[in-house]
Amino acid sequence: MNPSLKLALLVLIALEVSFIQVWSINVALIVVSLILMLLGRITWRRLLWLTLVPLFFSSALVWSLMLRSSASTHFLIVIFTRLFVYVYMGGWFTLTTPPLWLTHSLEQNAKLPSKFAYGFLAAFNLMPKIQAEVATVRAAALMRGEVLHVWSPRLYFKVILAAMNWSDQLAAAMTSHGFVEGAPRTHAQTVPLVARDWWLFVGSLLLVQVGLFVGLP
Amino acid sequence: MKRWHIRDIILVTIIAIFMGVIFWALGPVYTILAAALAPMGLQPLANELLLGIWVMAGPLAGFVIRIPGAATLGELLGAVVEMFLGGIWGASTLISGTLQGFGSELGFIFTGYKRYGWFTLFLSSLTTAIVTFVWDLFRNGYAAYHLPFLLLLFCVRLLSIFIFGGVLTKLINNLLVRAHVLKD
Repeated sequence: MNPSLKLALLVLIALEVSFIQVWSINVALIVVSLILMLLGRITWRRLLWLTLVPLFFSSALVWSLMLRSSASTHFLIVIFTRLFVYVYMGGWFTLTTPPLWLTHSLEQNAKLPSKFAYGFLAAFNLMPKIQAEVATVRAAALMRGEVLHVWSPRLYFKVILAAMNWSDQLAAAMTSHGFVEGAPRTHAQTVPLVARDWWLFVGSLLLVQVGLFVGLP
Repeated sequence: MKRWHIRDIILVTIIAIFMGVIFWALGPVYTILAAALAPMGLQPLANELLLGIWVMAGPLAGFVIRIPGAATLGELLGAVVEMFLGGIWGASTLISGTLQGFGSELGFIFTGYKRYGWFTLFLSSLTTAIVTFVWDLFRNGYAAYHLPFLLLLFCVRLLSIFIFGGVLTKLINNLLVRAHVLKD
């Protein structure tokens, strides 16, 4: 399925599920996502992780609601299954969608301005450098006997300075290689958006609507 | 009004990645804290205590890159990074990220992107707390809680957001101003 449509489907369903209290639809969504993840050859370790973590949080939340509210059992079941819907659907999405492909699709199919698409891509490729920079800043501080924590302004300060430097350099590099903001572009890799994608999108969304409003528990 | 250029886009993304790495690293802390509080039925408090760190990308991006939309974009991208790094909350991360970012953006909108001081930070913390809390009323079923507990949750959330999104952001901003990278 086309990545942009997949993302839209995911967000729309997650939004709806957050407001509407029908647990049977939650269970149906969980089962479908599970099947899709299994078809996508998810590793057992990842699946176990995706199950245990929400299991813990759902239980803790439901327990807390039992102690500190007078919510009905129906409501508790809805809340319990809801967290699994988020996690399983998200698991299916990240499993089947490479970030690069998603960015290409957002640019080509969803008409995201190319300066955003390529700006994101340029920065995302710096990820290992950013992680290394955080480690460097911390090590440099340690050498002076200073420990930098998550709440130390100095840590953020130094990393932001580095970020400003890099963004200047990257932007200059892109401009010097002929990148012009807003200029029309051609694409080496095109992301297809065919009728089938739309059918899947509209079909799944309709199916969820029918399920939500037909009066299931 | 300033417009987005490639340099700003790269900068906001780098800041978001940096914050995303921190969000992601906080995952285990959150889990442990939640586990410690869960037996008393206080698990939501773990969320409230740490929320300030999660929403920091918004005000930080808003302060460093003073362009409309910076806070929202910074927070949203932070959520994207967290999701692809292996955070598990999926689409709900994206929705929360957008709402958190928009919440802090409101603070900047109300001051017309002109004032960058304590007042804006306080306002931004307040709007973030309100917007995210309304979302949790639905998403996590907070609406069902008894009122006193609900008030406690809200106060802890506001405090956490103000400390990290407000005070810490202001301190970082002060350092950047002293280094003449940003205007006061």
